[in-house]
Amino acid sequence: MLPIYPFSAIVGQEEMKKGLILNAINPRLSGILIRGEKGTAKSTAVRALAALLPEIEVVADCPFSCDPDDIGSMCPHCRQRRETGEELPRARRQMRVVELPVSATEDRVVGTLDLETAIKKGERHFEPGLLAQANRGILYVDEVNLLDDHVVDVLLDAAAMGVNYVEREGVSFSHPASFILIGTMNPEEGELRPQLLDRFGLAVNVEGISDPSLRMEVIRRRLAFEEDPLGFNQKWQDQEQEWRQQILSARQLLPEVTASDEILYLIAEIATTLEVDGHRADITLLKAARTMAAWRGRREVTREDIAATAGLTLAHRLRRRPFQEAQPDLKKVEDLLGNDGTTEQGQEKANLSRQGS
Amino acid sequence: MSASRSAERSIAEGVFYPFAALVGQERMKRALLLNAICPKIGGVLIRGEKGTAKSTAVRSLAALLPALDGSQRTMPLVTLPLSATEDQVIGSLDFESAIKTGKPRFRPGLIFRAHRGILYLDEVNLLDDHLVDVILDAVASGVNIVEREGFSFQHPAQIILVGTMNPEEGELRPQLLDRFGLVVEVQSLPTLEERMELLRRREAFEADPLGFQARWQRETEILRQKIRRAREIFPTVELVPERLEEIVNLSLQAQVAGHRGDLVTALTARALAAWEGRRWVTAEDVVEAAELALRHRQRAVTENQPEKNPSQEDQNRHRPPLSEKPPASRDTSSSSPKGSHRENQPPAPERGERMEGGEVNENPSCTKGAAETSPKNYQDGLGTENPVTASPGRQTGKERIFPIGQPYPLRLFERERDRLWRRRPGRRFHTLSQTRRGRYIRSTILKEGDDLALDATIRAAAPHQLYRRRDGLALVIENSDLRQKVRERKTGHLLVFLVDASGSMGAQERMIEVKGAVFSLLLDAYQKRDQVSLVVFRGQEAQVLLPPTSSAERAHRLLQELPTGGKTPLAAGLWQSYQLIQGHFYRAPERSPWLILVTDGRANVSLGSGRPLEEALAAASIIRADPRIKSLVVDVEKNGLLSFGQSQRLAHALGADYFLLGELRAQELVLTLRAAIRPGQR
Repeated sequence: MLPIYPFSAIVGQEEMKKGLILNAINPRLSGILIRGEKGTAKSTAVRALAALLPEIEVVADCPFSCDPDDIGSMCPHCRQRRETGEELPRARRQMRVVELPVSATEDRVVGTLDLETAIKKGERHFEPGLLAQANRGILYVDEVNLLDDHVVDVLLDAAAMGVNYVEREGVSFSHPASFILIGTMNPEEGELRPQLLDRFGLAVNVEGISDPSLRMEVIRRRLAFEEDPLGFNQKWQDQEQEWRQQILSARQLLPEVTASDEILYLIAEIATTLEVDGHRADITLLKAARTMAAWRGRREVTREDIAATAGLTLAHRLRRRPFQEAQPDLKKVEDLLGNDGTTEQGQEKANLSRQGS
Repeated sequence: MSASRSAERSIAEGVFYPFAALVGQERMKRALLLNAICPKIGGVLIRGEKGTAKSTAVRSLAALLPALDGSQRTMPLVTLPLSATEDQVIGSLDFESAIKTGKPRFRPGLIFRAHRGILYLDEVNLLDDHLVDVILDAVASGVNIVEREGFSFQHPAQIILVGTMNPEEGELRPQLLDRFGLVVEVQSLPTLEERMELLRRREAFEADPLGFQARWQRETEILRQKIRRAREIFPTVELVPERLEEIVNLSLQAQVAGHRGDLVTALTARALAAWEGRRWVTAEDVVEAAELALRHRQRAVTENQPEKNPSQEDQNRHRPPLSEKPPASRDTSSSSPKGSHRENQPPAPERGERMEGGEVNENPSCTKGAAETSPKNYQDGLGTENPVTASPGRQTGKERIFPIGQPYPLRLFERERDRLWRRRPGRRFHTLSQTRRGRYIRSTILKEGDDLALDATIRAAAPHQLYRRRDGLALVIENSDLRQKVRERKTGHLLVFLVDASGSMGAQERMIEVKGAVFSLLLDAYQKRDQVSLVVFRGQEAQVLLPPTSSAERAHRLLQELPTGGKTPLAAGLWQSYQLIQGHFYRAPERSPWLILVTDGRANVSLGSGRPLEEALAAASIIRADPRIKSLVVDVEKNGLLSFGQSQRLAHALGADYFLLGELRAQELVLTLRAAIRPGQR
């Protein structure tokens, strides 16, 4: 396998990294949409994230990567085997990144009738598609706005349910399909429909870094990596391990994180002030804030957590209807929070100088 | 099948949010429960913006409703996945058994499974028309008749249809709308307290789904008991003649088409009474039932009514009595549409009603939600940009920026389209299947190409296997078995708007009308997933403001900010568009390009040394020479004044359809354009 650039070595793009990490801690955040130009480390970050995440335990021969310890989320086949008392073969491996190409057809995504067994044995079997491969992994859709509409619909449907229901081509089947959905798009090429936009838990806009010193650092690290990938990864190993550990502890802490009534009130207030459609914004903001608190090692959601995640959860939900100009934006949220949110950048600088030394 | 069905169960069970724990949305919950009491009501369509617990509510029903047979089981709830194919929906030949025994056996589809249960159509407005038709036929007749693959089969299909949709994504065809017994609108919860409660419950549920369900078990059981009791009472609930009269009156008042509405209202009122444990229907029941059953069936006016100067009286007559709030058009109804405030308070809403003719859906004042998605929505979107004063536009130096005239609902052609479509479905699919892209819906005998429908081919071959020489294979396929996929894909068009923004267009606020017309087409383009492009000419040159994109939103923004002023380099505009379209052929040849030229034709700047108009005509004939490009000319020259007729000449040179943007006729123009671009297509 080709060496993968370490996640912790990515310079800048703090919002994107934050969004990815939050999703890694809490898969219920329903994915992230990364909007921005080419060459802004989007793909690098996605692959790096998978490498950063702890390995998962799977049923070795299951096409859906079932968790051998969780009957509730198993595919019908594994469940049956387990119920008949079979010892399921185990394996540990890294989380998969399944890439969905723009040209993907629906049958490849959803799965279809297995040609071989149909002809050889005259039997009807399901041939799993990309959604099956992506179970318990990352489904990465580059240029999601260029996908055929109905493929996106199917994708988001499965993502929302965590289950892929197949009723096509003589096959009736359902299997678990819970994955971290990561989409990228360049808004210049056309927007996603609001309905689809809303299904992404988080969204972030990335752009090239303008700070010259940071830009130089990007080149420096990239060159170092290309010259000696293994050595570079070696150098960043401790840092990677530290982040990995932090993600693991955050995952453990997450169920214990609580939000006070004051926080709930604040979230409801933000959602009503911004006049977002429906309740997905509220729900996601609370989830993201809780995850943020866990990442920061706290058991209680604070206003800071909300400030840190409001942009990620709300920005893409602001525009209400086709052709309506964007609402007076997140300024209002900042007013409600009484926070100017400038601390992030300072932190990044500090991190960087620590790394450089 | 049984194995995967039980799998579906087990994945589903224990995961769904309890119905009893849903916060708010009382009307939606009620409509669903009323159907559970009396399935004859005919299902519910839930309309609402995204993220308003529509799907959650329907899915949570699965664990709640007791089966109709009085057993302890729950009612089956079958979801139609967006990717479903026809054979899975209506059922098909079981090829396994056919191959092995040579006997055709029916393999039930989703309709069979949903019998005496609920069939859930999520995003019903996005589903394939053909599939929805098939389902509705079965549901309406109560029988699913299967005639395919050499055998016949039929089985009963008593099904409660539940659909959800987000009107933002396009409306439902009126025929489909009428098939739903009840329609409810859902909105975000209004109060902060409710929102907080929702957050609390949602979090609690996700932290521990089973525990949460257990905590709500008692409530769920109470609901279940109440449903059981209501079902028992229902047959005995009395509807006295006075109530019946009220129903009929309400229905007449609302100008409901047909009698289905009356019947549904009566059943709903009785179900309401049964739900409350009463054996008689009250006047309140009737009103509540009518709200649910009649709104979407209201008819505004007949199609052929002339549409000049609607009087106040007219307005009142056409305003349905059930509106929760006055329609947006109320304030304007007294002023004639020719009033000078047209751009601020336009007559679009009432015209919308008018143009709809026999259609009952989305009448602006028909339902609250619809009122929000049509006129108010437009107003929200545009009103802010519109000056409040009577001044027609912002003035910046010599250039003026005109507001966008009101968009027009483009619904008239939905019906016609549908009719045409039915007449020649083959043609429509034929062209699409060649691309091998799009949604696989059903199959047909292989004619050409290699887009093989494997499942259908195997089914076709299966019954003959006993008689064929198999040489160790399980299956021998012969040419006559081959089937190809019928795919549907909404490819859409590329609409290139070539807009004249020269000074002459500023005269008499023509630009307002032009912008309004273009905007209406953009709105339509958004829903039909067309690509749009905007080329503008003024001053000395033409400019591609917006390269082809599916972001109609950006086109709209650019259009809004488009200034008017300067000379008219018409030839440059035509040339620029031509080149743009040529480039487009490389990138997306499946989208057929339309050039929509909006101008008064008074060319006065040339590209080279020729005379401006002659150059323009020459450019036009070059475009005409390319048969792939279709064009339209919209003449914005005002009647009665000095008429030059130059646009007409231009249209002739382009081989284009020609339209005159007369006074106040923009709406018709839009409809005509629309018809020209999509005759009989969706």
